[in-house]
Amino acid sequence: MRRDVLRGRFTLVRRAVAFVLPSAALVALVLLAVAGSAGSASAQDPTGSPDPSATAGPAAPPVPPAPTPIVHPSDGSSNTCYDCHLAVNDRQKAISETWKNSIHGAGGIGCADCHGGDPTSDQVTVSMSEEAGYIGTPGRERTVGVCGSCHSDPERMRRYNLPTDQYAKYWRSVHGERLATSRDDRVAICIDCHGSHDVKKVADSTSPVYPVNVPRLCASCHADADRMKPYGIPTDQFDVYQGSVHGVALLTNLDVRAPSCASCHGSHDARPPRDTEVVDVCGKCHTATQALYEESRHAELGPASPKCWTCHGTHDVTQPGVRLFFHEADAPYQCTTCHSASDPSVLRIELDRFENEADRRCDTCHHARSTIYSQVEGIAGALSGAQSAYDTAAARITEAARLGMIVTDADVALSEAKTSLIQAQAAVHTTKLTVISGLATEAESKAVGASDMAGAKIDESVFRRGAMVVVVVLILVNVAALYLVKRRLDRQLHG
Amino acid sequence: MTGEAERDGGMTGWLEPRLRLGPVLGAALHVRVPMAARTYYFGGIALFLFAIQVVTGTLLALYYKPTPDAAFESVKFITSDVSFGWLIRSMHHWGANLMILFVVAHLLRVFFQAAYKFPREITWVIGVGLLGLTLAFGFTGYLLPWDQRAYWATVVGTEIAGSVPLVGEPLMLLLRGGMDVTEATLSRFFGIHVLALPLIMAGLVGVHLLLVHQLGLAHPKRPEPRQGDPTPSTPSTRSTPSTPATDERLRPFWPHYLLDELIAWYVLLGILVVLASMFPAGLEEEANALETPAHIKPEWYFLAVYELLKHVPRIVGILLPVVGIGLLTVWPFLDRSPEVLARRRKVAVGGATLVLAAGIGLTIWGYVS
Amino acid sequence: MDQGHVSDPARGGFGRRRFLRWLLSFSVVSTAGMIVTPVLGFLVPPKTSGSAAGGKVAVAKLADLPTGQATVVALGSKPALVINTDQGIRAYSAICTHLGCIVAWDGGTGTIVCPCHDGRFSPANGSVISGPPPAPLPALATTVEDGEIFLVAG
Repeated sequence: MRRDVLRGRFTLVRRAVAFVLPSAALVALVLLAVAGSAGSASAQDPTGSPDPSATAGPAAPPVPPAPTPIVHPSDGSSNTCYDCHLAVNDRQKAISETWKNSIHGAGGIGCADCHGGDPTSDQVTVSMSEEAGYIGTPGRERTVGVCGSCHSDPERMRRYNLPTDQYAKYWRSVHGERLATSRDDRVAICIDCHGSHDVKKVADSTSPVYPVNVPRLCASCHADADRMKPYGIPTDQFDVYQGSVHGVALLTNLDVRAPSCASCHGSHDARPPRDTEVVDVCGKCHTATQALYEESRHAELGPASPKCWTCHGTHDVTQPGVRLFFHEADAPYQCTTCHSASDPSVLRIELDRFENEADRRCDTCHHARSTIYSQVEGIAGALSGAQSAYDTAAARITEAARLGMIVTDADVALSEAKTSLIQAQAAVHTTKLTVISGLATEAESKAVGASDMAGAKIDESVFRRGAMVVVVVLILVNVAALYLVKRRLDRQLHG
Repeated sequence: MTGEAERDGGMTGWLEPRLRLGPVLGAALHVRVPMAARTYYFGGIALFLFAIQVVTGTLLALYYKPTPDAAFESVKFITSDVSFGWLIRSMHHWGANLMILFVVAHLLRVFFQAAYKFPREITWVIGVGLLGLTLAFGFTGYLLPWDQRAYWATVVGTEIAGSVPLVGEPLMLLLRGGMDVTEATLSRFFGIHVLALPLIMAGLVGVHLLLVHQLGLAHPKRPEPRQGDPTPSTPSTRSTPSTPATDERLRPFWPHYLLDELIAWYVLLGILVVLASMFPAGLEEEANALETPAHIKPEWYFLAVYELLKHVPRIVGILLPVVGIGLLTVWPFLDRSPEVLARRRKVAVGGATLVLAAGIGLTIWGYVS
Repeated sequence: MDQGHVSDPARGGFGRRRFLRWLLSFSVVSTAGMIVTPVLGFLVPPKTSGSAAGGKVAVAKLADLPTGQATVVALGSKPALVINTDQGIRAYSAICTHLGCIVAWDGGTGTIVCPCHDGRFSPANGSVISGPPPAPLPALATTVEDGEIFLVAG
């Protein structure tokens, strides 16, 4: 009896296990599938246009992989597309000739490489067939892929020494994100800036992406009020930039070291710099200033601190000067400049408060009755003292030179004073009174030295003129004496 | 005469038997000049300025270093560090300008008074040569400070010299000591300015003064009578004070005329001191062969030719001054009429006035443009 | 002229002649003085040596300038930067070609740096490495003799 009973119980257990395990596995699989799809769905959530005060970028959608280049027949030399389209009509002829003169035409990148098709056949039905890979004029989003298919391939681009990160960067830009997520066909794609059939090298001064031409290129869309209306972004940047120090340097003086839109916003990854990024963006060129700023108290305050653009503006950067310290009249003082209106314990700089150039002053934040105001006054005073000493010395040297004295030594001393003065002015970014006043004192004493040298020359000139008067008087005495002798002699002669 | 010599002071009494210069000096000094003569002392002033240039130039040469590496610094050293260096240099600078001015003024005086006519033709030719030498002094001396102005003015000047037809190319090569203005040019110009030209100038001035002594000062109102003339012979070496027949009144060269000259020289000295003190000679930045300054202009005495070259074809602008100087040189042999009064020489006087006005006009134009 | 005075033209003439003599002597002496003073003053060599102008100026001792270090010296009235590099002594004008500030040596990076706008120059040939300067620093000729560093002026 015992064996049978036992066998019967085990069988029950075995049957239970045989049922439960697979069911549990199935349930687990289903649960996993559900969780997986839910996770990827949340990753599709698009971000809106970024808030410049935001501290960090939101999670970005993954970059779509670069498509492979269009596969099409080729014999390495024929380009029947070009041969036929030259003769089709005027518009096609213009396009064909434009392509021939472009960098792609010179490099043997033919019509089929972007449009597909069979460039070895002169039969339209063959050369423009789907079998041959013909895609016609690709749509906006597809065009990015067509360009990217070659230009993100390091092997292909190695011989031209061209970068290959443009494709990946583009999807990170505001343009790329809107194209990918909102399917916005009006944003800029590759051909809007580089041209399609007329692509030229960036270094070609007639290319729209040549540094001097970049501001106008961006302005062709971004200054168009109608075009920008749906996005609600300003359209005055180009006008403002033209009058700025950077604009004058690049557009008037044709100095390609000056920043264009792309220098600060990026080109393929175009996006306005964030509050956390702006110091590094400006600091790419203004290296010394960045190093000084990072020593300052301002650099420690995070979102509550002024950054470069707070005091110097963005597109309207002008030559800084002593006017940046104080308002001319009393400054209206607003708590919301630094304290968030919704939660006063949160500190952040309200950038709108500094939109007007007249408000980009130290005393917009540091009001006249604050303890730190005396430090601001100290800095302003030190610098103005050094500047006036420098100006006095320069004027004296000019005066000495005007009097005909040689002033090389005073000039050199003035150069030394100028070196210290510029360093003192730059040191404002450290906000440290001891540092700034130390440099200002050094500049002032060097300027006084130069002024003394010029003064010595002026004194010498005055002495020389005095001596000249004495000598002229002596000469006149001599002339008088000789004249008397002459008169006597003449009288003797005639008398 | 011996009584006078014995009466002379101890020094003269000691020197005279040992030098026996008495008769020579007497012949040189005891001559007479027409009272009507109006030299305005221009020639004497030019001589005085030449002496100033020799003295100040010699002093400058004690500190100046004629190599491109050192020239500029040495001139700066003289101007700012050496005692009275500024004065010696500025007097040399203004002395040069005034000397050119007074040589030209002397030429004009002689021309307008027809003092170049018989028997003073050779004196005149030598005088034109002296003018050329003075300009050569100005041209060679200008390079010596080796600053931007000096260097580039010399580049332009030697280029123009190189444009003279036929001889231009070799002339430029000779002047520059090579194809370009280099240390060879500086050496050459220094040697010419400090040795060659002073020696030639001294020689020619000596001959010029000798001839002036021999021929006497011209009378501004009547021509010099030639040999075989009905009127009495030239009175310049006669010792009697006056002539009964004509209005030819004379006065002694020594001491009367020379005293006048001496007064003029003192006045010039005063002017020179004022100019040197009020407008000291300056120094631009050191010469840089790789950096052409914006406006290169020659010094004022070449401005007329420079401005002319801007408006006429090159060949005309070069040949006109060359032909002009040639014409000037042989002028006494072209104008053989015996007239000396201005109203009887309307063509010559009118023509000269026009040329002078054109020259001044061109100079002013060159200055303001 | 009162009664007591003998109106003797000879004596009056003698007084005038005396005055004239005195005036002439004064004239000669003053002229001589006016000429001799500047000439003699000029001939006396001035205290300041100025630059050796064409020759060599000793600016530093080799022992005082170890490799990797530099010093700013005066050459005439112009500042010059002398560096002891691995390839020998180099010297450049210390006036930055950007806006005329005086440059300094940054031993840490081994570059010449202008403190005004962070322009950097190479110690090998004075060329611009980075920053706003538009042109290289002019090089100065140097020689080393008997442990003394000389700059050749001009």
